[in-house]
Amino acid sequence: MTEQEEVEKTVPTQGIRFYIRALTKDPLAIVGLIIVGLFFIWGVIQGILEILAGYLRKPYLGYILLPHDPFALDIKYSLMPPSSEFLLGTNTAGEDILSRMLYAMPRDAFVSVAVVFSAIAIGGIIGIIAGYIGKWADEVLMRVTDAFLSLPALILVIAIAVPLKAGFDATLAGLMVVWWPTYARFFRAQTLKIKSMDFIDAAKLSNVSRFKLLFRYIFMNSIDPIIAYAALDFGNVILTYSTLAFLGIGIQPPYPELGAMASNGVDNLPTAWWYALFPGVAILIIVVGFVLIGDRLQDIIGGRITY
Amino acid sequence: MSANIGIFIIRRIINAIITLILLIVILFILIHIIAPSPLALARIYAANPHAPYSELDQIIKEYGLNKPLYVQIINYIINVLHGNLGFDPIYKVPEISLIGQYLPITLELVIPATILAVVIGLLSGAVAASNRNKPLDYFVKGVYLVTWASPPFLVATALLIFFAFDLHLLPSNGVVNPTLTAPPKYTPFPVLNSIVAGDWTYFASLVHHMVLPVLSLSLVSFGIVTRLTRASMLDYMDTDFARLSLMKGLSRRRVIYGVVLRNASIPLITLIALLFGYSVAGAVVIEDIYHYFGMGYFITQAIFNLDYIAILDTTLIIGISIIAANLIADILYGVVDPRVRLE
Repeated sequence: MTEQEEVEKTVPTQGIRFYIRALTKDPLAIVGLIIVGLFFIWGVIQGILEILAGYLRKPYLGYILLPHDPFALDIKYSLMPPSSEFLLGTNTAGEDILSRMLYAMPRDAFVSVAVVFSAIAIGGIIGIIAGYIGKWADEVLMRVTDAFLSLPALILVIAIAVPLKAGFDATLAGLMVVWWPTYARFFRAQTLKIKSMDFIDAAKLSNVSRFKLLFRYIFMNSIDPIIAYAALDFGNVILTYSTLAFLGIGIQPPYPELGAMASNGVDNLPTAWWYALFPGVAILIIVVGFVLIGDRLQDIIGGRITY
Repeated sequence: MSANIGIFIIRRIINAIITLILLIVILFILIHIIAPSPLALARIYAANPHAPYSELDQIIKEYGLNKPLYVQIINYIINVLHGNLGFDPIYKVPEISLIGQYLPITLELVIPATILAVVIGLLSGAVAASNRNKPLDYFVKGVYLVTWASPPFLVATALLIFFAFDLHLLPSNGVVNPTLTAPPKYTPFPVLNSIVAGDWTYFASLVHHMVLPVLSLSLVSFGIVTRLTRASMLDYMDTDFARLSLMKGLSRRRVIYGVVLRNASIPLITLIALLFGYSVAGAVVIEDIYHYFGMGYFITQAIFNLDYIAILDTTLIIGISIIAANLIADILYGVVDPRVRLE
């Protein structure tokens, strides 16, 4: 055994613990982890409160943690600039922008998680089948994937969501239908690489069931580069979702949504710059968090950084 | 050699056509899943959920919605190939004439933006690679990460506030100064028209209105070029020919910006098609912000009016232009880099 193999054996290069340790060695990745962690923790806490508020019919539960009631109309406070009372200013109806942004965030967190995980599942199934069976199945599935990839996700979601009345469920469904092709490509490439390795032959000889072979041996072994891409992709989902909301597709008023708020803010330019800018800046900060983590993970998996 | 490249081009064209037909079939199947019955579909086509029965009946007859699904698909593909994209229920004109009016305006925005994004990306990527792990590298990385992670509307809004409302340098909305008379229509593109007619005030006004949208579009999308240029240049800096050029006595600057950058930019050709797609998607939002009356404005109006035929046709046209861009990029790549043809 050479020295290098020994090092590789003692230091695990896989698993959650390895990734967390590798991430926490880079200050930028720590910033990313903090942003993303806060975003998801807030998403869970506020999301549960909002669901409880609707379920128990006690609306105040939904904004118990927020500085103001996000639905409190008061024309007296219309378009107030940022001040100590309204940290990020108010909108046309006199609602507090910070509270509305915080109220909207759990939905973004939910959408990003739901879309990315569904994309991994659908793309995994299609990509592994295409790569493992090969021949005609590969040809057919990859041509369909190409057809989906020939359009920007945004345009395709519009085409799906608008006839479904462009509500929240339609947008979520549209994003799920559209998001898998990149993952199918990744999984196919990984499967082609893994398929000819010895341990797959060994598994076949030891009579492992088909499902176990595809899931335990191929899916779990090809997931690493996909995790790095997925970390970045949470941000892409949020960007696309908020852009759709900007165009008026997604959750409908009175419920706040970051993209829709920015859209209303643009209508109030040039008087109320805070209304147009702050929702976009919030999205920017969240997405930067995901990008920092994804960038770092790609460096780690690409072998550009070793520990 | 020439037969080789001929086969390569024909194979790519066949691939593009298959992708296009599949795209049409997928879009078609998706609407049929959403609206399984002819009446429901007719209601969507009429852009009016409360359309009277007689109107729905007429739409069903016109589009043959009560025929079997495969007949509908074949009819639809034949219609699309004949340029018959349906009749717009809101504007009351054939869809193709509307797209003929709006598409050139978007292309005038997207093509310069793509070129600008490639130029910014190549230059910043080269600077980052030649100053690897120095402050300049981190600065470039910071800039492109932020523009990459920012939603297109944020960049557009920030530029709008700064350049149009604070500095009053550039117009905040519109395609052209509406008080000017348009030159005669030689081509669908206003910019070309004004050049052909020699109407320079009109041309200047067009360019003046174009600056902010083009700048926002290219700022949103240049990050991916920077990133790939940097990675690709770092790979090429270790090659023998780069070392040889250094040893021949060329200056470091000449080697990096002449030899390495030229070689490293070859793989980026395929990226241009991707970038074009990004820009088209970004253009939807950015046209909405700057009230630039192209496809993006058209599609936003269609969303607002629930004008489904318009959305479907816009989707199709954007798909066709991106498939065409991909095809051109593929062929260019094959011409420039002979290794690709051997696949």
